[in-house]
Amino acid sequence: MTAAPLLPKTAPFSPEDINVLNSVVARTTPLQRSWLAGFFAGFEAAQVGQPQQAAAAKLRVPLTVLYASESGNAEALAMKTKKLAQKHGLDARIIDMVDTDVSILAKAKNLIVFASTWGEGDPPSRAVDFLESLMGDDAPRLEDVRFAVLALGDTAYAQFCATGKVIDERLEALGGKRAADRLDLDLDYAKQAAEWTQGTLTKLAPADAADTATVVHVDFKVPGCVPDDGEPLLTPENPLEVEIAALVNLNGTGSTRETWHVELMADAPGFVYAPGDAIGILPENDPDLALELAEAVGLGADGSVVQKLREGYDITTLSRPLVEAYAKLTGRTDVTRIADQKAFTEFAADRQLVDLFETYSETLAPEQLFDLLRPLPGRLYSVASSPAAHPGETHLLVGAVRWDSHGKKRKGVASTFLADRRKMGDMARIYVKPNRHFRLPDDSARSIIMIGAGTGVAPYRAFVEERAEHGATGKNWLVFGERNYTFDFLYQLEWQEYLESGVLNRIDVAFSRDQPEKIYVQSRLWEQRAEVLKWVEDGAHIYVCGDEKGMGRDVDVMLGRILADAAQGDDEAGRAKLKELTKAGRYQRDLY
Amino acid sequence: MTDDKRSRNEFIKENSRFLRGTIAEGLADVATGSISEDDSQLTKFHGTYLQDDRDLRPERAKKKLEKAFSFMIRVRVPAGVTTPKQWLALDAIAGTYANGTLRLTTRQAFQFHGVIKSNMKRTMQAINASLLDTLAACGDVNRNVMAVANPYLSKAHAAAHEIAVNISERLLPHTGAYHEIWLDGELVEDKSKSAKEEDEPIYGHLYLPRKFKAVVAVPPSNDVDIFAHDLGYIAIVEKGKVAGYNVTIGGGMGMTHGEIDTFPRTADMFGFCKPDQAVDVAEKVMTVQRDWGDRENRKHARFKYTIEDRGIDVFRTEVERRLGYKLGKVRDFHFDSTGDAIGWLQGADKKWHLTLFIENGRVKDQLGHNLRSALCEVAEQHTCAFVLTSNQNLIIANVTAKAKPKINAILKEYGITPMASSGLRRNSMACVALPTCGLALAESERYLPELLSMLENVLDKAGLRDDDIVIRMTGCPNGCARPYLAEIGLVGRNPGLYNLYLGAAFDGSRLNKLYVEDVNEARLLAILEPMLVRYAKEREDGERFGDFVIRAGYVKPTIAGNQFHADIELAKLAS
Repeated sequence: MTAAPLLPKTAPFSPEDINVLNSVVARTTPLQRSWLAGFFAGFEAAQVGQPQQAAAAKLRVPLTVLYASESGNAEALAMKTKKLAQKHGLDARIIDMVDTDVSILAKAKNLIVFASTWGEGDPPSRAVDFLESLMGDDAPRLEDVRFAVLALGDTAYAQFCATGKVIDERLEALGGKRAADRLDLDLDYAKQAAEWTQGTLTKLAPADAADTATVVHVDFKVPGCVPDDGEPLLTPENPLEVEIAALVNLNGTGSTRETWHVELMADAPGFVYAPGDAIGILPENDPDLALELAEAVGLGADGSVVQKLREGYDITTLSRPLVEAYAKLTGRTDVTRIADQKAFTEFAADRQLVDLFETYSETLAPEQLFDLLRPLPGRLYSVASSPAAHPGETHLLVGAVRWDSHGKKRKGVASTFLADRRKMGDMARIYVKPNRHFRLPDDSARSIIMIGAGTGVAPYRAFVEERAEHGATGKNWLVFGERNYTFDFLYQLEWQEYLESGVLNRIDVAFSRDQPEKIYVQSRLWEQRAEVLKWVEDGAHIYVCGDEKGMGRDVDVMLGRILADAAQGDDEAGRAKLKELTKAGRYQRDLY
Repeated sequence: MTDDKRSRNEFIKENSRFLRGTIAEGLADVATGSISEDDSQLTKFHGTYLQDDRDLRPERAKKKLEKAFSFMIRVRVPAGVTTPKQWLALDAIAGTYANGTLRLTTRQAFQFHGVIKSNMKRTMQAINASLLDTLAACGDVNRNVMAVANPYLSKAHAAAHEIAVNISERLLPHTGAYHEIWLDGELVEDKSKSAKEEDEPIYGHLYLPRKFKAVVAVPPSNDVDIFAHDLGYIAIVEKGKVAGYNVTIGGGMGMTHGEIDTFPRTADMFGFCKPDQAVDVAEKVMTVQRDWGDRENRKHARFKYTIEDRGIDVFRTEVERRLGYKLGKVRDFHFDSTGDAIGWLQGADKKWHLTLFIENGRVKDQLGHNLRSALCEVAEQHTCAFVLTSNQNLIIANVTAKAKPKINAILKEYGITPMASSGLRRNSMACVALPTCGLALAESERYLPELLSMLENVLDKAGLRDDDIVIRMTGCPNGCARPYLAEIGLVGRNPGLYNLYLGAAFDGSRLNKLYVEDVNEARLLAILEPMLVRYAKEREDGERFGDFVIRAGYVKPTIAGNQFHADIELAKLAS
């Protein structure tokens, strides 16, 4: 198997060197590449203190790179831009929208915005305040600003790239000069994003920019710490192949849930992660669905098509761009009709790609089919283990997704890949998705309140393990919610041990279906509000992990209410306090 | 160290501050669905047991879950009489907090299974809101007092019911712990006083050495199985009124496999008392046992062993001394059977009473047999009473002639026929056993119906389908379904293996005898088939199966409890 060239043309080497390196790298295994990364990390560390070659640029101009990131993709692109900008004679400042306000825009000469959209079309939660003021009447005029916006999104959701679109339009309305056209990208954004960034930087760069080719120093010594300007070694394009060492459905017989504890043997030198990070799984599709889809377009007999569908393509997501492309390809007016936004929303409700092909059945050639599809994206899971507690391993907590709709049994791709189609001893391909915004306090004497429902408890297992391993003195309080106490108390025996040993100081639980009225984690928070306030006053960090719609929002409202309650019922003061905690990194959320 | 040889439970009781222990703290601990071992001894006095689903045990640790804990809650219902309103309340509790079924017990009580800890207080409060409670339904106290089923049948039945209620009330613990813990009552514990001073006038702070069971019978029905209990009253009816009661003492069922100094025992005739003496007699008998019972060896702590060890005459002298008067001479009586007459029956006041056969006392909805729904609809008519029988059956009592067809129609609509499919099934009982009972060694409630269906084929071959033969099964030797008084007794030893006991009297007056050990289903059927066929052919006029097996030489009669393990000649069977 030959791998695609790993080093991009933009790599800080001569084109010849890039070719030579690529020819070597193409023959390497993920393990070898990890080894190399580790080796150079050590090598660089050893060089510290030696005088660096001074990089003298003839002319350098400032660049502001602003990002609105939820899962870290936009952030990673922003970080990457810093390196490339240097090459173009641009001195980039990388700024998270949560850490700044709109006044920064007026000062920017050159501006690149990386903006994610998530959910049905919402901005990342940390960027909400910034965007509100950007849209507000007091937003500064930006006549002197040259800007470009890259929007990230997911065509599976209704308002594709909405946040980026809104920002792009607003910057222009405020007088900004568009330096490059906005690009809206789907989950397989990496390659196009790199090209766009390259092109945009070229447009923004001063005419006589020096090619300084600064050595990028990457520090891998701190486990899991992805350096500010660095990238993780293991990516969807460069995953690590690992053995599945354990695969257990944690829910007891009788449960309405199915949550899998997955232990992976990830013992490679470059494999580093920290509690709070996510691990990406590169799944394969359900072979039955791949066959069904192939059959729907008359390709069921072609084994290689079915295999490609299974391994490489997203064959579940039904997006509007895809319907448009299908209408164009087939020339069918009935398909064109459902490409209309309203008709599409109606048709797509609880339907998948196979429904489109079966309802509007056409025979396709293999390449016609593949042209319609996007690559199969990886799925992210908050890591459920501490590397200190489980050296060489990483654990995940995966909720199996299954539902019935339109007469078909549907399955989550990655969750059932693990739950149904893999067993202990099989291999899986994974990568690390760092999450700098869901991290234990640097000060281990700080107390933490961990609020999570369902699989949202995963990072807290990692947190508590990590704090136990490092003897952190801060107190730990877990507030956990699920459906039924008897069957769904995820990691119950472990929590009992941590309570016994004093690592876990408090636990509160909310099981929604054990009694006539629904009890959720936020109800417990309200009951314990005096204690919550006490912990917050004492400097505790609050973490929330789990479902955004089902829990994240309600907990957010409740925390605001509790803080307002402490301020004599002043709602404004409550929200302000919550924002203050957010800015101080003491209120961190990992929602999905 | 002291040389205090009292059993562990005695210390738990002594240190419990009148049954409080750390139950309240244990309920508040959300990390576990269980409570501490000591507290789980104490909650029994409050009418509840900590259990776990044993079917699920193998998978739990692997899933990082503790055992699937839940609580069994037993409701105290003296003489088994409830109103329709109470029935509906209990049914709602079963659906909301328990496993969706009601269990009618062999002691005229209700049991809920599968109530998790976080719902315990609400459930207890809901039970209390229905004007019932669970106090002393388990534990080393006087348990639910039974009486002949259906107080509405005659004046004597009503009198028996009243005596049962009065005994139950008199012998109820006084501790405030129950209110405090479950009903969010005021803290009534007076910490200024030493624990021993709190008002527990009858029991004292150590309660009884073991459980204590009292019943009231009205001949000729021995539905309460009078000889199986610590204390019994046999109503002597003269001219339609109760002239007084023959008192029986020292019966009991439990024993331990392989320990022959433990045995079931039929009660002895103790004397005769007048109706207004009955409650005092109960108190004095129980308090002598309180003082004389064995507190060192719990397996030897039941009242029956006190009587065995001390002799009935010495015991009577002490009771009479405490009473201040002598008991009268036992009067003549006659029992027919221990079973229930299934079907409609008209009482003295012309009201109608329907005894429903309820297999193993389990009230639930099943496909085509929606018993739970049917009974709720009957209860909603509010024209009747619900009386639990000692045989796990239910009487819809006090029905007017006008309402009778309506009830028949409701039952029909939900697929309920009052009758059992055979005389054997009609006279069958099984304890709960697996998966919730911690003591069970083998299946019981979940298995007996199946076994009966196989035995019914045998009965058909023998032509015995409609004959009354008493069969009882328990999952362990402790005797909840009173297996040692069954003509065919099956007591679990290991999964799928039972000891077979034969030869008890149909009227409940004679224990059975071990016939063969550790038989599986196939062997059991192979043993019983020829026996039943032979019984059908060779029985004398009116001869009961339990008497026939003795005459035919299968087993020797057990003439007293202390002879239960004597004269055993295990059957030699071709395997």
